[in-house]
Amino acid sequence: MSLSVDRASEGATDRSGAALPRLRGARGRAGRDGALTIRRPSVALQDVSKVYPNGRHALVDVDLIIPEGDFVFLVGPSGAGKSTLIKLLVRDELPTTGLVFVAGHDLSRLKRGKVPHLRREIGIVFQDFRLLASRTVRENVAFALEVIGAPRRQIGPAVERALAIVGLTEQAGQRPSQLSGGEQQRTGIARAIVHQPRILIADEPTGNLDPLTSWEIIQLLLRINEMGTTVLMATHNAEVVTALRKRVVALEDGRVVRDEVGGYHREY
Amino acid sequence: MVHFLAFSLRRAAEGLWRHPVTSIAAVLTMVLMLLMVAGLLIVLSGLQAGLRFVEEKVEVQATLNEGVSRELVGALEADLRALPQVASVTYVSKEQAREDFRAFLRSQGKEDLSEYTGTNPYPANLSIRLRDPDAFGQVAETLRRPRGVVREIYERQQLAESISTIADVIRTVGFVVVAVVGLIVLLIVINTIRMAVMARAQEIEIMRLVGASDAFIRWPFIFEGLLVGLLGALITLALLALGSQPIGQLTFLIASRVPVGFNQQLAQQVVAIVLASGLGLGGLGAYISVRTYLTR
Repeated sequence: MSLSVDRASEGATDRSGAALPRLRGARGRAGRDGALTIRRPSVALQDVSKVYPNGRHALVDVDLIIPEGDFVFLVGPSGAGKSTLIKLLVRDELPTTGLVFVAGHDLSRLKRGKVPHLRREIGIVFQDFRLLASRTVRENVAFALEVIGAPRRQIGPAVERALAIVGLTEQAGQRPSQLSGGEQQRTGIARAIVHQPRILIADEPTGNLDPLTSWEIIQLLLRINEMGTTVLMATHNAEVVTALRKRVVALEDGRVVRDEVGGYHREY
Repeated sequence: MVHFLAFSLRRAAEGLWRHPVTSIAAVLTMVLMLLMVAGLLIVLSGLQAGLRFVEEKVEVQATLNEGVSRELVGALEADLRALPQVASVTYVSKEQAREDFRAFLRSQGKEDLSEYTGTNPYPANLSIRLRDPDAFGQVAETLRRPRGVVREIYERQQLAESISTIADVIRTVGFVVVAVVGLIVLLIVINTIRMAVMARAQEIEIMRLVGASDAFIRWPFIFEGLLVGLLGALITLALLALGSQPIGQLTFLIASRVPVGFNQQLAQQVVAIVLASGLGLGGLGAYISVRTYLTR
């Protein structure tokens, strides 16, 4: 079993995981004397395994802690377990064994009725954008708030703010079919951040985009991260990962095989 | 709550508009079934009223010839009362018979034309209630024994029985037909809502992932089913309202002596049952569909 611990979290957890509940409540930054104090983890996985009913081991003994405010790349070949990991984080699936904590929730114990509340603390960006073709950019972004019952007077300002962050204020009245791929993905990102989530999960957000547009999207995700949102980005884009020198978690056959800052990224 | 209702209703209406052909098919089948339900209700209530009308009357009625002395009639009454199967015997004089018939005509809003003839054509009669309907033969025999007293003998029991049999047959056949059509409507609603769910698979996926609660995901579809039911019920009631007068005239022609009509109480029952069946089937179909296709 490998334990993946961020620099900032070092010393705060032990292999037994007994510190996890304490971690949830703890919050801090590096002190003036340079002593490392911990930041509250946005995501914590302990000994997580996932075996699907067909017997496939999608994840094996995964330990992973992502402190609040981090930017983490999740890399690995197809079938390495990236999608399963993301499904566990949004509680689309439950682990076969192990513990998953997201935004302070123990997902194994989370009641079904509380799952929507967990998901409201997470924003998700998809490779294929998943925009509603019959709605305008503004309506697509507002949809995320409408369906959680947000009052109308809050929806308007929140949508304008999200559109301003992604730079789509001008295109707000257009439909997805009238937009470029990059603009469509920026709409997807606006929808993912409109409810101000604590964590943003981007699943191959540049997979369908050309290199230049991909860079724009990455820049945007970095900006959102600088504004305080934890970002977890699954990607195949070696160039981006290598250039950015952020933390890289590599999965292979369901196991975390590397967890390094500015990690070398093998071509998958 | 207001947001929830507004959101659900808006999406339900959108869903209906987006697939007009399936929606119209669902609504029209619903109308067909509800018309059958309403028709069954009207026919059965008519037969029920006829049955009550007949049963309330005496079981055997014997009209008497003109000019028969009261003594003879009195003796006949005594003979009848002596029979163990007879519950009661009532003598109705000519005047009373006319009065009774006039009262009946007034209740139907008609005038007794015999008033203009200056004579009383209504015969005096004996009304005999039986303990045992099978005793009719013996009673008839007793009635015919004194010569020249009784003009005609009417038995109501047979009529009541035949109406009751007809009502039973119509009720059974009607319920079977309505149940079969109801099942078809249910399946059509399930299919309509299923198509709506499938057409919105991507939306539902997005809704789930951005944290929409189950209620926000499911209720718009249930509202859509309820809307199909409501539209079906309203169209059915509109058709019935248009058709109520001709139907009323028809039933009056068929049973002009029986007080059957599209009265207010029946109309209220029909409105309530049509609305309840429409909304019930629409909601149930949608609920089943949503339960089947949206469980995670």
